[in-house]
Formats: sequence, C-alpha cells, structure tokens
Amino acid sequence: MATENRDKEEEEVKTDDGSPKIKPRPIVQLGIFLISHSPVFSVVFSAAGVMALLLLPLLAKNTYISENALMPGSARSMLSHRDVSDGSKLVNDIKSFRLNHEGQGVEVQRLIGNYMLEMGAEVSYQKFQPEGNHFHPLHFFSGPASYTNLGNVSCAAYGVNVAGIIRAPRGDGKESIVLVTPYDFLNGGDYEALSLGIASSLFSLLARVTWLSKDIIWLVADSRYGDYRPVAAWLTEYHTPSFEVSDLSKCDELNPSDSFRRAGTVAAALVVKVDGRSERFEDTLSIYAEASNGQMPNLDLINVVNYLAVHRQGFYVKVEKVVSLLSSSWLKTVGEIFEAVGKVARSLNPDWKFGIPAADYLEGSATLASSLYSQALGIPTGPHGAFRDYQVDAITLKVSPRFPPDSKGRQHEFCLRGAQLLEGTIRSVNNLLEKFHQSFFLYLLTSPGKFISVGVYMIAFALLVAPLPMVAASLYIDGCTTQNPAENLKSWKWLDAAKQVFALHLLGFIVTLLPYLICQVPGEQSPTNRSIIWATTSSSLLLITFVTVPGCSPFSSRLHGTNWAVLKSVTISAAFIGLCLMSIINFATAEIGALLLVPMCLMVRPIRPDLRSRRVKSLVRALCSMVLVTIGFPVMFFAISKGLIGEGLVGLGLGGEFWTWLESLWAWKSATYLYIGMVHLPCWLLCLCILFHPS
Amino acid sequence: MTKDDGEMVEEQKKKPCRFWIWALSSVLFRLILISYAGNLNLSSRPEVSTPLTSIRRLAEGYWLKQASMSPYAGSMYHGSPLLLSLLGPLTVQRLVAETSSNDLKLCFNLVEFKKEDTLDVSGSKGNQVTSFADILSAILLRGIGKKLQMAYGLNARLLGLLKSPRDKGILPCGDIAALVYLWNPFTIVCCVGLSTSPIENLAVILALNGAVTRRVPLAAFGLVMATHLSLYPAILTIPVIFLLGYGLDAPPLKLFLQTRNVESGNRSSTSSASKQAKSKPTAQLPFLWKTVVHFVFWALVWSLCVMVLCRLSLSKHGGLEEMFKRTYGFILSIEDLSPNIGVFWYFFAEVFDFFRNFFLIVFHVNILFMLLPLAIRLKHRPCFLAFIYLAISSLLKSYPSVGDSALYLSLWALFVNELADMKFSFFLFCGYLGVSLLSPVMHNLWIWRGTGNANFYFGNAIGYACFQIVFVVESVSAMLNHDRALKKCNPNHQKVKN
Repeated sequence: MATENRDKEEEEVKTDDGSPKIKPRPIVQLGIFLISHSPVFSVVFSAAGVMALLLLPLLAKNTYISENALMPGSARSMLSHRDVSDGSKLVNDIKSFRLNHEGQGVEVQRLIGNYMLEMGAEVSYQKFQPEGNHFHPLHFFSGPASYTNLGNVSCAAYGVNVAGIIRAPRGDGKESIVLVTPYDFLNGGDYEALSLGIASSLFSLLARVTWLSKDIIWLVADSRYGDYRPVAAWLTEYHTPSFEVSDLSKCDELNPSDSFRRAGTVAAALVVKVDGRSERFEDTLSIYAEASNGQMPNLDLINVVNYLAVHRQGFYVKVEKVVSLLSSSWLKTVGEIFEAVGKVARSLNPDWKFGIPAADYLEGSATLASSLYSQALGIPTGPHGAFRDYQVDAITLKVSPRFPPDSKGRQHEFCLRGAQLLEGTIRSVNNLLEKFHQSFFLYLLTSPGKFISVGVYMIAFALLVAPLPMVAASLYIDGCTTQNPAENLKSWKWLDAAKQVFALHLLGFIVTLLPYLICQVPGEQSPTNRSIIWATTSSSLLLITFVTVPGCSPFSSRLHGTNWAVLKSVTISAAFIGLCLMSIINFATAEIGALLLVPMCLMVRPIRPDLRSRRVKSLVRALCSMVLVTIGFPVMFFAISKGLIGEGLVGLGLGGEFWTWLESLWAWKSATYLYIGMVHLPCWLLCLCILFHPS
Repeated sequence: MTKDDGEMVEEQKKKPCRFWIWALSSVLFRLILISYAGNLNLSSRPEVSTPLTSIRRLAEGYWLKQASMSPYAGSMYHGSPLLLSLLGPLTVQRLVAETSSNDLKLCFNLVEFKKEDTLDVSGSKGNQVTSFADILSAILLRGIGKKLQMAYGLNARLLGLLKSPRDKGILPCGDIAALVYLWNPFTIVCCVGLSTSPIENLAVILALNGAVTRRVPLAAFGLVMATHLSLYPAILTIPVIFLLGYGLDAPPLKLFLQTRNVESGNRSSTSSASKQAKSKPTAQLPFLWKTVVHFVFWALVWSLCVMVLCRLSLSKHGGLEEMFKRTYGFILSIEDLSPNIGVFWYFFAEVFDFFRNFFLIVFHVNILFMLLPLAIRLKHRPCFLAFIYLAISSLLKSYPSVGDSALYLSLWALFVNELADMKFSFFLFCGYLGVSLLSPVMHNLWIWRGTGNANFYFGNAIGYACFQIVFVVESVSAMLNHDRALKKCNPNHQKVKN
C-alpha cells in the first residue's frame, strides 16, 4: 500500500507541469490524502476513539428478549408454601446439625443427599481436590483441563460435592439444566445456608411438576476451597470421565459405590448465592456474567433473569460497578455536557433522543468500567466461569436479603420469591428447543437492562487503532525516501527493522515463559523474591539481546543502524497486528491496551535531536513521549492504577504485588497475560529503543 | 585487487559454513518442537492437515489395508496407495494408542503413560520422515538456486550490466531459498504437524531440480510422482518442458540481439538461451525437441511404473478405477466440505445442488484459463512460470494447506535478484503474518467458544486469498518491470561504449 501510494504521489508531482494528468482512482486518492496528513488524522482519530468510548453509555440500547421460545413469566408460578417450608426445614436441620457436630465429616452432605433422595432425585457424591497454581505455558488455549494431577493425593484436603438429578417426565434425558449452590460445609454462614433453602424449595417443586422436558441437576458445591474449583471439578468429571480409581475414594468412609451420575448436555446453568444484607430497602439481586477471557453468556439468559426479577419478583437488580467512579467530578461534568447537548438536540428536533440524565450517565459509565475491567482481567467473576469452558451459558445470581438472618417470617417470604425467580427462569430455559443462539454473545453491560453490542463498541476501538496503519505507511515512505535512492534493494529496507522487532518479540515470548521456570526453583519463595529473580533474568536477557543481535541496541553508536522511521513503522505495524488479534480474543484487554499503546507508539521519537534543538515545541514533544513511555511500562501502569485505587506502593513491595497479580492471571489462563508479555512489553521496549535512538 | 580476491575467497568459504549452521539449527528447532508435538496438537489443525494430507486419515487407510479392506472404504483416506505403504507402518503405533484411548476409554490411567510413549515414538518416526523430506527439498532448492544464480550472472555479463568477472552483488539465491524453505513457519508447522505435504513438495522440487540440471529422468520422475500425489502439479508440465526445451531463465531474447549488434566480443556460455541468441541472428529461439521427447518418454515410463505399483497394491479392492475415483475424483468433486484455508468449502456448502456441477467446472477451469496467457508472457522464464503456477494452484486448490504456501514462498526466494524492487513487500509480509495468526483465533472462536460462526473463519480465508493474489500480481509485475529495466539500461550502456 505504502509504496504504491508513494509512486502515485511521485506521478502527481511529475505531472504538475502542465502535461495531461493521469488521475489516480478515488480510493487511492483518499489513501494518499490520509497518509500525507497522517499527524492531523491520527490526532483526530485517537481523540474520536476516546470520545466514542465516553459516548458508549449514551449509545446503550435496552435489552430485549430475542428468542421467542423463552416466553418468560407467561406461566403462573406453581411454587407452594409447603415447598418453601421443606426448604426452610433443610436450612434449620443443617444449622442445628452444625451446632451439635464439629469437624471434617461429610455428614452435612449426607443430610442434603438424604433430602434429595426423599424428593425422588438420584444422588451422587463427588470428591475433588483443591488445585494449586499450575502455570503451564502450552495449556493456555487448550480448552478445558484434560490433564489431571494424579500424583500425590493427600487425604488431608479434599471436598465433597453433592449432586441430585431429577429426570424430566417429558424429556428424553438428552438435555439438562444445572442449578448450583455453593456452600461451605465447614464454616458457611446463615445467609449461605439460605441459598440451600431456596434451591431445595425449588427442587421439591420440580420433582413433582409434569412440564419438565430437561433434567434438573442440583449441585451443592463444597466451597471450602473457593467457589470455582468444586464446580470446575464436577464439570470435568461430567464431561471427561476418567476411569481410573482415584486414590481419593479410599480416603473416607463415604461409600464410592454410588457412582457419578449424569444427565444430558447442559443447556444452561444458574449459580445461586445468598450473601450479606442488602444496603437498599429492597432485596438486591446482583448478576455476574463474565467468564474467563472476557467471554459472556448469551444475553438472553441475563434478560430472562432480569425481566423476571424486576417485573415479577420485585428485586432490585444490579450489576457490578466501579464505585469510585460514581463520585468522580470529571465524569460528572462529561455527563452534564452530554445531557446539555442532548437537550439542545431535542429542542431542535424532538425525534432526536440521545441525551440521558447525568446521573444515569454516571451510573452507566461506572458499570461499563467494571464490565470492561472484569472482561479485560480475563478472570471469571464467579463459579459460572467454569461452565463457559464447555460452551454452557451460565450466570451467578447473588441475592442479598434486606432482613437480618434470624427473622423467620421474612426468611420464608424471601425464599419464596427467590425460588419463584429460579422457577420462572428454569421454565423459560426448559422451553428452549435449541442452544441459546439468538441473542448476543459479545456485549458490554451498562446496567442490567442496557447493553452495548459488539457493532457499537468496536467503533471506539477501530477509531483508536485507525491511526496506526496510516502513520506506519507514512513513516515507511519517509524512511525509504530519505536514504540514497540509488541503493539496491530499497524496497527491502524494512528487513533490518523487522529483524529487530522480531528479536524483541522473541525476548517478550521468553520473558512470558520465564515464570514457569522460576516456579520450578526449589524452595518456598516469596512473591517479592520471585519478582526480583524474574526482573533480573529478564533484564540480563535484554542486555544479551542488545549485545548479540546487531542493530538492536538503542545505545550503539553505529551510523549504519536502522533508520528510526522504518523501525517505528515496523513497530507500529506489529502493535497494530497484536492489538487487532487481541481485540478478537478479548476485546476489553485490547481496548485498554490500545489506550496505553497507541499514544505511546504514535508519539515516540528519538529524544536526542529534540533535546539538542532546544525549542519549546520539541522539548514538549520529548517530555510527552517520556511521560507516555513511563506510563506504558506494565509495572508502572500497575503501580499507578493501584495508586488511583488508593493503595500506593513503592519499591520491592510493588514487585511482589505485581507478581501475585500476574500469577492470578496465568492461574486463570487469562489471555491478558500473554498480551502483556508478547505484545505490550515488546512494543514498549521498541518504543524505548526508538526514544534513545542515536540519530 | 588481491586483497579483494582473498576476501572473496574467505567469504565464499564462510558462506556454505553459515548456510549449514542455519540449516542444522532449523533441524534442531524442529526436533525441539517435535518433543512438544503432543501439546501443540498441530496434526488436527485445519490449516495444516487437509483431507488429502492428514496423517490421521492415512493411519485410518493403513488400518483398513491391514484388515485387508480397501483403504478407500469409509471415505476417510484419499491419498496415494504408495504413500500408504511408505508412511503407513509409521502410524501403526499411534493408531493402537488412539483406539485404546478414544474408543474404549478403559483403563485410561494405565494406558496414559504408555500412550504418551508410543505417541512419541511413532510421532518422532513420522517426523523424521517429514524432516528428512524438508532437508532434501532444501538441498534440491539450493541446487536450483545455484544454477539460476549462475545463469543470472552470465546473462548480466552478456548484457554488459556486470563488469567484474566475479558475481559481486548477486545474492546467493539458492541459499536464501533453501533457508526460506527450512525456516518458514508454514514448513515447520507442516513438518511437526505430520502432514504429507512435505513429501508432495519434495516431489515438485525434485521435478524442477531435474529440469534445471537437465536430468531428464529425474524431472520426469518428480513430475509424475507430484501429479500422482496431488494432481495439481500436472500443470507444471508446461514450465518443465520449457525448461528442457529453451533452457534456464533469461531476459527476453531481443535484448541479447541488441547487445550483440553493438558488442563483438565472444564469451562462452552455458545457458542455452544466451548461447542460441548469439549463434543465430534470428529472433526465434530453437526448441530442443529431442530433450522434450526424451522427457515425454521418461514420463510415460514412470507413470506406467506408478500405475503398475498402484494396481498391484489395489488389485483386490477395485483396482485403478477405484483409485482414480477416490483420489482425483475426490479432489475434483470437492466432496469434503470441512473448513480449510481455501475458499471452496464455504461456497460449495452454500451452493444449490443443481448448480453444483456448473460451479465445479467454473472453479476448476479458473486455473486452466490462466495457464496459457502466463505461459506465453513468461516463456523466457520457465522457473518463474513454475512458481506462478504453483502459487495460483495453491490459491485455487480444492483443499489447500499452508504447506503449499511454504513451497511457493521458497520458490519465490529463488528470484530475489530479479524481484529486488518488488512493491508492497512490507504490506504483504504484515498481511501474511496477521492472517496466519488470526486463523487459529477465528477457528477457536467458531468451534470452541461458540461465539463466532463460519463467516469468521471464512472471512479470514478470503483475506488470505486476497493477500495471495496481491502477492502473485506483484511478483509478476516486478519481474516484467525487471525485464523492462534491463531494456532501458541497454541503450545507455551502448552510448557509453560508443
């Protein structure tokens, strides 16, 4: 593209002296125009990209139920008070049992299992082990974990899940719906036990009804080692059975003869948790949907739950938001500006309705920020994340009642409403003939009832990265024309720069894999020590690269070093490819990464000529690029964002903190970790090379 | 001058040394990757293994053959029966391990360790074959490159563009092409992923090498084998006949005639084109009919051999007719619509049944339409013509894989001297890189995550096809520009002389 445009440009220049002009095609003209004015356009596009990001809460649409088969709320609830009483009885039994008995046993699980049996369900118990943080570089995208750690089973630490299955009277046993209630059998609180009450009320109803066409599985997950692990272990067993006799089965008196039971493919899953007291006047329902790597369940599932909770059960539904943004004054100003613009627009034409009140805007952007953050982190926000690995749509519903845990009457009503909500949802999913596919998979939430689809939020990203190819092309033309034109192979000038870029990306790849080796270092190391080992090995590797690969070092004073313009052009191209790839894997990471990477890549220039010239403009430019490069360093950005939250950290503590954070990323197989190591870090290093380029 | 010469000699001594270091390190790199082959799971990637080149299908075919059934029963295997006898025994352990783990799923724990071992053993055996094929291809490519480099230097000197007797400033295109082939990620992925495309590529390169070095039986053998393995190399008959008939790549004949009119010096030459140009004043290149007839004879002999061998191995299972139906018929009728990096599968999944035959003809004729114009325009550069043919066939193949791209990209590197001023090089490089990284991501999004659909992957395939088209077009135009530049240089040169 670049070279052709250059040729075309030359043609134009040549034909300026009156001879008949050959007009290039309009699209080529447009390309030439964009490339020749790339500084202006890059500023305009980047600003537009940031602006579009700020506009997103305004552009959010109301959710709607896209799949007609769901028909939420069309049937009357069949839940009776007797069912709820059954549930309450289970809760009370567990409470009294826990008061009388102490210890590790599986008595509570048995108790629940017996209740399920009484209701007419098939019961199975499953033992699982907590899993350590195993970083394995090759298992990043290899689907659900099929590798199980068979060695060193210890009976000291394991959990037991209970699962009950109701066979659908109208079904063929090929599909199922999963209901998960995580419960810590050792030290679960009263509120947690309430979730068991809700589920068991529902279960006793579902055991009787005739309309079920999908089997119902109620999984009581043993959450003493976290919510996620038991569900993941159960799902692994459900989908990839292993036929070995696990050593775990010998650990306990629990009879392993009742083997693991299965129903059909899982159509949807709901995780129910009850925690804490609601701060609001109503009972609150929080919806968590983000699974690993920013994957979301189908929007219809959230819609159904939201519709039933708001319109039938009167819950106050919310999704997670960044609370600190609610009080930020600049965002409020932005919201007020948008509101004013919206008012003006409406006064001009009453059909233009794009303004929303500033308070709504503030709420929307706080929710959007949280949605972006949790998607970008790539860590699931609850046990529902385990289902997404098997392409099952799942969400976590966290219910907070408004009463203290010991008020009996309120508890009954609360259980009734919770169970009715679940009943309605399950009934809707039960109606479904196919997988969820009608509605969106790629979206961001700005409130439980509003969403931004992929077609809208991609615009912000596209605008942000649009300057990259333009600037790369214009720099490429500059870099190739400033050299003596008689030289051979001038269209292959970029090969040297590409070598350097490749070397640094390879370095980034090695640095990304280093933690795997560092974790193999014997002895219990503190995170701080490990981060120090990592930093020293990485920087020594960097030095080795600078010494061995000629032309790589920014400090070499060779005259024939690569032209910085070409180097920058190749760097920008690499950043562009990396960001585009990442935007498909995990949009939110790419968006945040682009906010950091794009200004840095666009601004950076060799600092020496700027300092030498001593003009205000170039000094400001140098300062800007210095600041951007400083912020662009991942550790620095981590420290700054920690500081913004209010946990200022300096020195070695920061290293430890950073290591822990990264460890959590790779433990959850987050692609963000790969992005940081293999796209962001090399591009940052290359920017550093350009900054100190001897030109 | 002497110092210069000394340096040159030293450099020449150094260069092969450096070449072998790089070649060996590429083998080492393959060996390292092979030890992780189980984790990388390359042999099931649609980019690497097509229905024609997949080792899994070959294993299936071998198993059927062992069970004294037709290897083509069950529509799994569509390759040559000869390949089955050659590679089949290497897959047998793999097969055992897979049946025990996938079908029976019993004693999983016990088998697991064993399975890993057998996988490693069989995998490394298969990989040894593919690595060996790669190395052999690279060496043959290097031979082609050396010849082409010599011809380039000679022609340049004949045209008076190059003064010094040493080929200074001419890039060693053979070494470059060989290293491009060995270090191309596509080749490495195909080698580690155990697809049969390294062997098909070897056959093609063998044919070209035979034609360039004028070993007629070798050329005929390579061509027959390549055609037998994957049908499409049949179109290489044209460039191979040109190579044998007209000689190596050279600038157009007119240039030599012009130069000859001005210059009266006589120099010896090996390139037949230039030799003929000097011996005869007419603008007609003589065609070496004798060599070509020789070639045709050998081609017939080899095809007969292949037929007889296939007939023997398939004697109880329907014979040759069955083989042609299941291999060439399968290629031409595009029966398997599983996704690959080509553009056919999507189209033929969508097309109405009663249009199917029509579009089959249209799609296949596409390749044939381009043969003649290109042959006329590029007849003075038969090797380059072969490269263009291979690129076009890999673009319009029914089941393309990255192995085909690896072949034409390394052939392209044979012409670095001529294509030094190729446009869009950086753009194309970024495009190929981006598309090949995007492809697994799109596949993951569609197949594993379920959030994308077939259009995502097909869009990627279209992008890949577009880049290939730009690549072919730019290569051809760069080559033609190079010829034009030679023409421009010549009159200037004459003026200086006069």
